[in-house]
Amino acid sequence: MDTPTTCSNVGRQNPVESPVHIERRWPADGYTRIPYWVYTDAAVFQKEMDVFFAGNTWNYLGLDCEVPEVGCYKRNWIGTRPVIMVRTENGEIAVLENRCAHRGAQICWQNTGKVNDFTCPYHQWNYDLNGNLQGLPFKRGVMGKGGMPRDFDPKQHGIRKLRSVNRGGTIWATFSDEAPTFEEYCGPEVLAEIDQVFPGKKLTLLGYTRQLIPSNWKMYIENLKDPYHATLLHTFYITFGLWRADSKSENYPIPNSGHSVMISHNEGKKVTEATPEMQRFRTDLEMLDRETVTPKKEFNGGRVGGAWVFPAAAVGIQANTLKTRHVIPRSPTEHELVFTYYGYEDDDEDMTRRRLKQANLLGPAGFVSMDDSEMLTQCQIGATGYPHEAGIIEMGGRDTERTDYMVSEVLIRGFYRYYIEAMGF
Amino acid sequence: MLDNEAVCLYALGERVYATQDRCPHGNASLSEGYIEDCLIECPLHQGLFDIETGKPKGPPVTTDLKCYEVKVNDGTVYLRTAGP
Amino acid sequence: MSNEISPRELRAELRDLYEDYALCLDEDRLEQWPDFFVEDCHYRVLSRENHDAGLPIGLIYCMNKNMLKDRVTALRETTMSEPRSLRHFISGVSLRERKEDTLVSQANFAIMESLSDRDPMLNMVGRYLDTWRHTSDGWKLSSRDCVCDNYRVRTSLIVPV
Repeated sequence: MDTPTTCSNVGRQNPVESPVHIERRWPADGYTRIPYWVYTDAAVFQKEMDVFFAGNTWNYLGLDCEVPEVGCYKRNWIGTRPVIMVRTENGEIAVLENRCAHRGAQICWQNTGKVNDFTCPYHQWNYDLNGNLQGLPFKRGVMGKGGMPRDFDPKQHGIRKLRSVNRGGTIWATFSDEAPTFEEYCGPEVLAEIDQVFPGKKLTLLGYTRQLIPSNWKMYIENLKDPYHATLLHTFYITFGLWRADSKSENYPIPNSGHSVMISHNEGKKVTEATPEMQRFRTDLEMLDRETVTPKKEFNGGRVGGAWVFPAAAVGIQANTLKTRHVIPRSPTEHELVFTYYGYEDDDEDMTRRRLKQANLLGPAGFVSMDDSEMLTQCQIGATGYPHEAGIIEMGGRDTERTDYMVSEVLIRGFYRYYIEAMGF
Repeated sequence: MLDNEAVCLYALGERVYATQDRCPHGNASLSEGYIEDCLIECPLHQGLFDIETGKPKGPPVTTDLKCYEVKVNDGTVYLRTAGP
Repeated sequence: MSNEISPRELRAELRDLYEDYALCLDEDRLEQWPDFFVEDCHYRVLSRENHDAGLPIGLIYCMNKNMLKDRVTALRETTMSEPRSLRHFISGVSLRERKEDTLVSQANFAIMESLSDRDPMLNMVGRYLDTWRHTSDGWKLSSRDCVCDNYRVRTSLIVPV
């Protein structure tokens, strides 16, 4: 059993074993290549679910403002495992498997709700808000006949409660008792990004966007770790000065992990040497509504930052829009992408309006994101047709070292460097 | 039945008690439950109530049972209902 | 003004407006899409999940007519997307409220999407929740919330609803 007892390296993520055995071999070039079967193979997918989502990782559930009162719950998934987060009587938020201990039925079949306790719709097994089995019908039988065996112990048949943490209002959970603490798991750089946008202020929920993208889940992660495409696909960025290939930027793949941190600085619209190379730059385009592309300076001072918290979540601010992103793999060839938008309780009406307005840049209809899901669809089609071929990620070099410029695929290399080892390829 | 509500009668030693029959926690009949000491255990989720006072005594129940004042006369049980 | 027109005629007029709007989008006449709205309009596409919970985030959220025009500009000039054809199906036009210069109405929509190498699929289904204002140019939308029943958007939402 590969279960380490100490984690001396910051950010080190140690994989767990999986019963799935995979014959495939990674191309000899290593992490500068992505073999396309990694986006389609069912066995690879199952192993990823075991090793990453059920392993020594911390997974995003949601924000505490989504479950404001005792008994409020929200449904989510960690990998393919249905889970819920619920506000318990002591005010803390618990994370439970969304699975009746009896026959596996989904206990909560709504996205959100408020209950006194949980009752499975099938046989009415009843659990308290912490998942303890409180009662089940006919435990003593009916008219003296039947009932559960005498040695049936309800304490052994509760809903499993996961280890969880609340960091500044974000809720994370792990299935593994061996996972390091959340702080150790993230490491200081990722933790700093989380704390920047979740500084402990009371949060307000603004809403969700969800999309089902017909591509493997890792393609989205690569897309977010790919600043190379940003100004080339999303001309909107450079056209309106929100981001540029020559902006002051940093790409940091966190060693021994799938985490990364990416930072850039908003410098406004300008023409330099870099811009003529970007074929789709348009000097004649202006927005009629300038506010859409003009962030108001707030705590981040024009710094567009974010962290990918492996395996499946991102935090960060874009203009004045605060959001988390969560990826839910649905199958080898489909994943769900959820944006959760939030604000702070002390935001005035003006700031809230800006946050809502600038959300037009993101999500399924976002000015700088709607093209992404279109492209991921295309990549999945190509990968499906040619599983034996491979993608090449050498922009910026062949290493996984931190960079102080933007146009690089180093974050994707860093991701696969970790992935190859963790999956045992 | 009394005033369209089902009533559950209990014989504990010499005394007779009466409470609402429907468990406030779920769709269950307390008369199908299990008595131990002076507590009635709901058959659905094993919630416990004190028969005498109607107070909840064990999870998952948290609400009081409606109790009726009982008088036994010549082998007939009388319950006090709300006055006119 | 509107009081001179019978409810039946008004509803017929509304139906025409709904159909004209749908045809404008289906025929890719995006530049004419903002013409259905007044200057200080509200246009939002949002999930029923958000709408029912009173959450304000939209998939698309235009707070004035300029933002509608900006969206058209962005779609024409900066967005990359696979070629597709969309077809709206409108039904259940219902006049909910009628005041001097204002109408409140709703209608169902279903949008079928066909991509170049894939068969038609239901892309989005929901209802328009509308307020119309009477102007010198006829009825214009002062507010439209497109509340979609979809739990998730399929891939992306390129063309306005």
